[in-house]
Amino acid sequence: MVPRVLVIVPAFNEEASLPATLAELRAKAAGFDIVVVNDGSSDGTEAAARAAGVPVLSLPINLGVGAALQTGFRYALEEGYDVGVQLDADGQHDPADLGTVTAPVLASQADVAIGSRYVEGAALYHAPLFRRIGMLLFSALATAVTGQPLRDTTSGYRAYNRGVMRLCLNYFPQDFPDAPLLIWVARGGFRLVEVPVTMRARTQGQSFYTWTKSLYYPYKTLLASLVLLLRRAPVGEAEGRP
Amino acid sequence: MTRAQLLATLLAVGLALWVVDLVRRRKLSEEYSLWSLIAMAGVLVAAFWTKGLTWITHQFGALYETSVIFFFGIVFLLIALVFYATRLTSMTQEVRRLAQETALLKLRLERTEARMQRGDEAGEGR
Repeated sequence: MVPRVLVIVPAFNEEASLPATLAELRAKAAGFDIVVVNDGSSDGTEAAARAAGVPVLSLPINLGVGAALQTGFRYALEEGYDVGVQLDADGQHDPADLGTVTAPVLASQADVAIGSRYVEGAALYHAPLFRRIGMLLFSALATAVTGQPLRDTTSGYRAYNRGVMRLCLNYFPQDFPDAPLLIWVARGGFRLVEVPVTMRARTQGQSFYTWTKSLYYPYKTLLASLVLLLRRAPVGEAEGRP
Repeated sequence: MTRAQLLATLLAVGLALWVVDLVRRRKLSEEYSLWSLIAMAGVLVAAFWTKGLTWITHQFGALYETSVIFFFGIVFLLIALVFYATRLTSMTQEVRRLAQETALLKLRLERTEARMQRGDEAGEGR
């Protein structure tokens, strides 16, 4: 049986960039099913997705990118998809990389594949200095804790198999599903791998990470990561991998 | 009765009556009313059982009775804050789950309706 892959596109107030993202997905990744998770947007995000003929999971309230993604996982599991891929609505992720991101998971070489800006073969990505320091810090933390070399913990371009998606139903960082998520997944015995992708600058709208969040983000991510170490590892979850 | 005792009594009884009335009007659940009533009782005990208050003050090595009252008052408020934060957290989780289920059910409903409509149209065409 051919494995089924679902591309999950969480979108919060992305009416400007969503049509182009969906059109590009259709053009470059025709074999993949798509679902847009409208995270309680106040603009025409839902209408834009519907106009593109894509199924929409419309949250009545804004829950945050993590909870929106978790909604996509619930849908993927219910609908029997083998792999769920997270792809940003803002056009930062090139759908041409979908094959690269899903390949290790489809080949059962990894349970989570992370589209990374920093592994060899990835196109250069220039982040602001402050953000780059944070990225380095959390990548060092995630690497130390998981014992797996992780260089891009903030990448939102990831593929997950069913076991990982199931794990994420019980625990999931609701606003920033970055380093803590990877740590939790690794502690559950799941295998993570990074693959090279190209990240583009966003064309429309605003990043999830506004300046107030840029102060809250390090605190929240650090605390969530450390608290996870105090929790008992989700043993046995990784068994029965597809 | 000193003036301070009178004030404490009026305050404690007034607040207790308010809480009971809120429970009566179902604006407050019994679960949450219990703690405020216990606090009001504590205020009355501290106001009238002065010997006990002095004894506790000595046990704590504090200089004034008032500081002991403030200390317990602040500790009580801090515990209450943490308690309400845990309630908020669990309610947030519940709301999130409900919102997610709503979105999933809505999509399923749309699909079912679309299928039924197609079935109707096919039936009419025959």
